[in-house]
Amino acid sequence: MTEFVQTLILGLLVGGVYALLASGLTLIFGVMNVINIAHGAFLILAAFITYSIWSATGLDPLAAILITTPAMFVFGWIVYNVTLRRIRTGPAAATVLLTFGLALVVEGLMGITWGNTAHAVTAPYFNESFHLGSLFLPKAQVYGGIIAIAVLAVLWIVLTQTWLGRAIRAAAVNPQGAALVGVNVSGVAAATFAVGVASAGAGGSIVSVLYPFLPGSHYVWISRLLGIIVLGGMGSLPGALIGSLMLGIAETMTVTYISPAWATAVPYALVFVVLLIRPNGILGTRLREDVVT
Amino acid sequence: MRTKTIAMPRAVADWVPPEWVTSRGVRYGIVGVAAILLLVYPLLSDDRYYQNMIILSLVFAVGATGLNIITGYGGYVSLGQGAFIGLGGYTAAILSTKVGGNPFVWVPAAGVVAGLFAALLGMIAMRARGHTFVILTIVFLFLLQIVSINWRVLTNGTAGLTTPLPTWSVDIANWPFYYALLGLLVLSIAMSWWIRRSKFGMGLVAIREDEDKAETVGVNTPVYKILGFVASTVFVGMAGAVYGYYLSFVDPLGMFNILLSVQIILSVLLGGRGTLWGPVLGAFIVEPLNEFANNSLGGGNVRLLVFGGLMALVVLFMPRGIVPAITEFIEGRRTRGRAGLVGERLGAAIELKKRDVPLARPAISAQMLLEVKNVSKRFGGLQAVDGASFGVPQASITALIGPNGSGKTTLFNLIDGTMSLDRGEVWFDGRQIDRMKPWNRAHAGIGRTFQITRLFREMTVLENVVAPVREFKLRQLGADAVSGHEAERAEQLLDFVGMLKYRDARASALSYGQQKLVELAQVLMLDPKLILLDEPAGGINPTLIERMGEVIKELNSRGKTFLIVEHNMPFVLGLCDPVRVLGRGQLMAQGTPLEIQKDPRVLDAYLGEDFAVEEEPVKA
Repeated sequence: MTEFVQTLILGLLVGGVYALLASGLTLIFGVMNVINIAHGAFLILAAFITYSIWSATGLDPLAAILITTPAMFVFGWIVYNVTLRRIRTGPAAATVLLTFGLALVVEGLMGITWGNTAHAVTAPYFNESFHLGSLFLPKAQVYGGIIAIAVLAVLWIVLTQTWLGRAIRAAAVNPQGAALVGVNVSGVAAATFAVGVASAGAGGSIVSVLYPFLPGSHYVWISRLLGIIVLGGMGSLPGALIGSLMLGIAETMTVTYISPAWATAVPYALVFVVLLIRPNGILGTRLREDVVT
Repeated sequence: MRTKTIAMPRAVADWVPPEWVTSRGVRYGIVGVAAILLLVYPLLSDDRYYQNMIILSLVFAVGATGLNIITGYGGYVSLGQGAFIGLGGYTAAILSTKVGGNPFVWVPAAGVVAGLFAALLGMIAMRARGHTFVILTIVFLFLLQIVSINWRVLTNGTAGLTTPLPTWSVDIANWPFYYALLGLLVLSIAMSWWIRRSKFGMGLVAIREDEDKAETVGVNTPVYKILGFVASTVFVGMAGAVYGYYLSFVDPLGMFNILLSVQIILSVLLGGRGTLWGPVLGAFIVEPLNEFANNSLGGGNVRLLVFGGLMALVVLFMPRGIVPAITEFIEGRRTRGRAGLVGERLGAAIELKKRDVPLARPAISAQMLLEVKNVSKRFGGLQAVDGASFGVPQASITALIGPNGSGKTTLFNLIDGTMSLDRGEVWFDGRQIDRMKPWNRAHAGIGRTFQITRLFREMTVLENVVAPVREFKLRQLGADAVSGHEAERAEQLLDFVGMLKYRDARASALSYGQQKLVELAQVLMLDPKLILLDEPAGGINPTLIERMGEVIKELNSRGKTFLIVEHNMPFVLGLCDPVRVLGRGQLMAQGTPLEIQKDPRVLDAYLGEDFAVEEEPVKA
């Protein structure tokens, strides 16, 4: 029983980190109808930046979030304006291929800069744990999960309480309508992309503490995150949250009860099974496409 | 989409090709020369480096030709195409080591396994629209990689499997691989060519252009997409089997490497997706580039930069690829200075057939062909249709009029199945159809045009008219669509609406009114019992309106029933009987045109107090 509860809590903490990473991805999709295949590469980039900061200054890698988040915001804004802006209204397939190309370029640049070996950031508390009764929770997991949820809460407040957030949501629901009431839709798209990449920045710092990483790790991450947003229902933030928690729990349960080797495979299989029952994901409905235009 | 054209040197820009240089001639010339070179190369040269490069190019060419079917024709991008090379390689390696025999014997089995996996993945991924498919293809690739690492009994894990060594003479060491792959490439290209000409291929392209619309003209989209995906993978699995044997070794990281997919996609994109030869050309450009990046630039990370950078550049600056760009260039030079057919004055192309004797209107029976019973549909806070009930009598031209926002187009969407209703029933020809899929309703005999025309823009006029599917039969999928019976029928229909002259024009090049006529011909291809027309006279000139009225009357005299939404009152009142008036999502009034014109409620809500048909009703 203790083992089960511990696995469950770890699953939720892992799921919290996934939720932060997936929310940026689903936000970009919801507003821009763009699947950002480079999201995984961006988060690994943030992990490497955290690594460099940590190894140069000894700064706590989780505190490095305060640097990686704005840095990745600026990076995302530049990437959007240099590349994606040109084809934002083009066919959806084009944006998938473009961001996939970007992912490869970022992977290559990371390999040149940091080398293709596994890196890990060891926070001072990396092998310490909290003991709650008979529960045994690694501190890094707990901090990482809590910070991820806190950043997610900030993101939520930005989306619901600020003008930018309202503009983003308006542009997501009805771009033409938003443009009519004075929202600069192209500018909002740039801001959304930047916010999404910034969340990958925060998530990347957390990932650097929890998992070893190398440039090629982005494939595992992007396929996991894409699995989550398909599972939850494309473009739905609550769906991304539910999908993240489900996948996090499924992974930790597999590690505990089946085998660590299959930990990444079981969640993928879960995605397929859920889609067999609900083709559009758990919270997804078929988007109402305007039939007239 | 914004694209930039690269500035050309003046000599190139001013070049006018001689008569014999047509894009088709150039294409066949290049293909013929290339085919001969490929056929004799191993006999002439013993250079293993180039043989190896060609063998790998052939593998990728088969992969790209396959991917082109689902991505180029069907419009669904797959990032997991390389997984089918891996599946084929593993199938042959596992069977030849566990069961025995030469891996070549197992090549067909590899094709079957690849096709089965594609069918399974397709059944899960193709029921939803849009991005789900591309995402699941990535997930699928990594899932297979994990399985091949962990299922040691079958795959020997990360260590991989070694295939039996070739048994033939060292002198011809590479020949069997080389010619087997060349043969597979020929088969792939033949299949791709055949699909593009068939009804099946038309359906795939229709899905790429407008999936909702494709459903309303009878295309059973999930089945098409799944079959298209299977077709994309079968030969790729076979090529994978040969590839694995050629390498003499299969392992998870090599066989399920995403860079295989990258190279295949890049080949399709660069060469020109949706074209027959583009993917092949692309493969023979990308593989040498890959070798160059590996051998001269240091491989690894630089290779990623080359592939990723090239992919981004192609998407941004040459989205259609090399083959279409060259074709356009040659055709543009060739036809410079000549007026296009599309710009010609309309009257010259469309001759109105004058009749001495007016058409007999068929007797309108009391029997209802279509019955809408108490139907409702809500969008969030908006009750678009609120318990509407009415019937469309057999052989009538029934009008559905009403103010903007009264729910006319929504009702059309509920009748043809583009949207599902919240409450109520729709009966057609004695059957309840409100739970049927749009393509089944089309097969049952409902055809529909759209308020703003929705032709498949990148297809020619003829292809647009050939695309509809009257009934779903596997045999019909294989039917030739660009010549033979189907094309003949389409030409007759185009002639009937007066658009035959434009049969080879691209739909997007037509004027709005011309598009309306072509869309009508397209719907007629379904041989529908009931035709729903959404504002057939909206936004087009008086000549065309007259033509449209004539066409409708003629079809009606042959027994077709119409339901027409239209705001042009002289047109409606001269053509239609009975008239149904919709207001606030409900039936407000109905009757003959005369009764409607005098109905105080209709005058108040829609026509206006001072309404009077001053013009003569349209005569034909």
